[in-house]
Amino acid sequence: MIHLRDVVKSYSRGEQAVVACAVDRLDIEPGEQVALIGRSGTGKTTLLHILAGILRPDQGEVTVAGAKLHELGESARDRHRGQHIGMVYQTFNLLQPFTALENVLLGALFGRGAGNEARLRAEALLQQVGLQDRMHHRPGELSVGQVQRVAICRALVNDPELVLMDEPLGNQDRATGGQVLDLLLEIAAHGKKTVVMVTHDPESAKRMQRTVDLATLRGAEVLA
Amino acid sequence: MKLWSISLRNLRIRIVATVLTMLSIVVATALYAAILTMSEQTEQRYKGSIGGYQAVVGTKGASQLEVVLNTIFNVDVAPGLFPLRICTELRSGKVAGKRTQVSYAIPQARGDSVSKYAFPVIGTIDEMFSKFRWEYGDDKVPLRFAEGSGFHYSYDDLLQLADGLAAYESAKRTGAPEPRPARPLIQPQWKQAVVGARVARTLGLGLGGKITPVHGKVGDWKYHEHPEATCDIVGILAPTNSPLDTTIFLPIGLHYLIDGHEGGVFLVEPLPGKTPDDMKTVPVDAGRVGLTAIILDPKDHFGAKLLRDEFGSKEAQVAWPADVIPKFLRQIGNAADALAVIAWLVLLVASIAITVAIYNTMNERRREIAIMRSLGARRLQILTIIVGEAALLSGFGGVLGIVVCHTATFLLRDVVEDQTGVYLDWLQFRPWEAWLLLGVTLLGAIAGLAPAVKGSMTQVADNLAQNY
Repeated sequence: MIHLRDVVKSYSRGEQAVVACAVDRLDIEPGEQVALIGRSGTGKTTLLHILAGILRPDQGEVTVAGAKLHELGESARDRHRGQHIGMVYQTFNLLQPFTALENVLLGALFGRGAGNEARLRAEALLQQVGLQDRMHHRPGELSVGQVQRVAICRALVNDPELVLMDEPLGNQDRATGGQVLDLLLEIAAHGKKTVVMVTHDPESAKRMQRTVDLATLRGAEVLA
Repeated sequence: MKLWSISLRNLRIRIVATVLTMLSIVVATALYAAILTMSEQTEQRYKGSIGGYQAVVGTKGASQLEVVLNTIFNVDVAPGLFPLRICTELRSGKVAGKRTQVSYAIPQARGDSVSKYAFPVIGTIDEMFSKFRWEYGDDKVPLRFAEGSGFHYSYDDLLQLADGLAAYESAKRTGAPEPRPARPLIQPQWKQAVVGARVARTLGLGLGGKITPVHGKVGDWKYHEHPEATCDIVGILAPTNSPLDTTIFLPIGLHYLIDGHEGGVFLVEPLPGKTPDDMKTVPVDAGRVGLTAIILDPKDHFGAKLLRDEFGSKEAQVAWPADVIPKFLRQIGNAADALAVIAWLVLLVASIAITVAIYNTMNERRREIAIMRSLGARRLQILTIIVGEAALLSGFGGVLGIVVCHTATFLLRDVVEDQTGVYLDWLQFRPWEAWLLLGVTLLGAIAGLAPAVKGSMTQVADNLAQNY
């Protein structure tokens, strides 16, 4: 599902180049649930963005869901992301003017299309996470846990092969967040989806099948 | 869900800014549509109103345009008089060359009006309702009546009255011994009027209603009513969407016998060696009863050519509405073009306002755009959403502008008709309105391009990282 080789992404700060992320090798198989951990500043989010195709590495090879992202142009990477990858952010990143259902449908609109079929799927997903009565509420009218569930539905609406999560429990109490994360992992496991979660929370990482410390990826992949 | 629904939502969440920006588009579109409507309907009105008039005879002391505008469009007072004899000669085919052939030559005399709307009163003969042909679409037929019919007053009645008036006036002038011929009196059967559709509608008059002519116009200095000439309405014309709708026709004999009109009945030619006082004692000629216009219809092309080439009166001229009005409209058209340029400039300024309004929101929308990009939105889709916002904003403004134009047309149609004689059809939608709407929408879309490009260049990773 995911194969990274000699990937480097750096930023220029003044005249100095700062390496934000460096991975010699990383392989994740289809259906795996992997936690990426690491200290702050080790490039976890940058790696997630590289896997999503939002960023292109300065060098190296990135293959995700069969696509060689390092060879694709921006538009093709966008299309690939929309159709094959679902994303859940720490801040959930729902659009405030849109209802829960519309937020989920936005994922479909930029993915596989937001026709009737997508609408039915979005409604089914919201029902599955217990938000059947909150479909037409805006994010501001929902609790944090409900917002997180909407974000999960949006990530899954295109039935992606890969779900990327960036600190999904960062902003909420562990009990509520843990329940929602379990729900996502259950749905993902049921759909044989690959899940990659960036986190610095050891408890969350324990819920995943495998944990990868980013600090150790330079040189060799380390299995926890 | 579609991209345009995101554009629409973005407009809704900034409703105050949207409405304010849209207002300028509404004003510009309404202004432009109003200019085009006035210009087009003026042209339609003027061109449509000359359909029944082939040629008009008027005084030589005025321009052809003045003659046409006064006779057909009731603009201003009659520019002058010319003698009845010209009408008689036209009717007998003696004016131009040997054989000026006309289908009809209908005399008219005007000067009074009715009501505060100053509906003009025209004295004429019954041929106005039997021989005069009006173009109703493709049909060229006598004037149609919504109710009733025309009055009866023939050309022979006019000649007979002219003879009687001339005999009376001549005897008075020359101091002929008694018994002198009596002044002809108003006959009860002459006190009949035919009114245009709008006259009846505005004044709430029906058949049998009373019309009393006013000397001059109501409110003018020295205006006064002519109660001796109060007429019963015997006919109401069907609408023609022309100045005929605002006209009142009376028997021309009644016009000459109204108190105070005596002085203007006869045209007296100054004779060599005679002072104006001397002229007051010279007998008058029945053929020199004054007319303000003759409505003419040459029988054929040859008759028209003869009239054009050989009509040689020193007191009257033939004016051809089909020649005069297009020239007049071209002049009006130039003014309308200038106004249209101003309207386009307003529209341009409004478009710049759209650019500025949307551009200013781009900074606060970086995260929203980044989120959409992270969901798979391509730059082109972001560009489409923002351009769509501008296009929707200006499209809605355009629609509202056209609605405002039609509403204003509805509200002001009576005032405009009273002031200009142009009836504005507020329910008429024309193809150019669709083009205008398309143009305004396109202009808005172009105005949205600059902010759209800026929005589509938003850096995804940087802006997703921000935790607002």
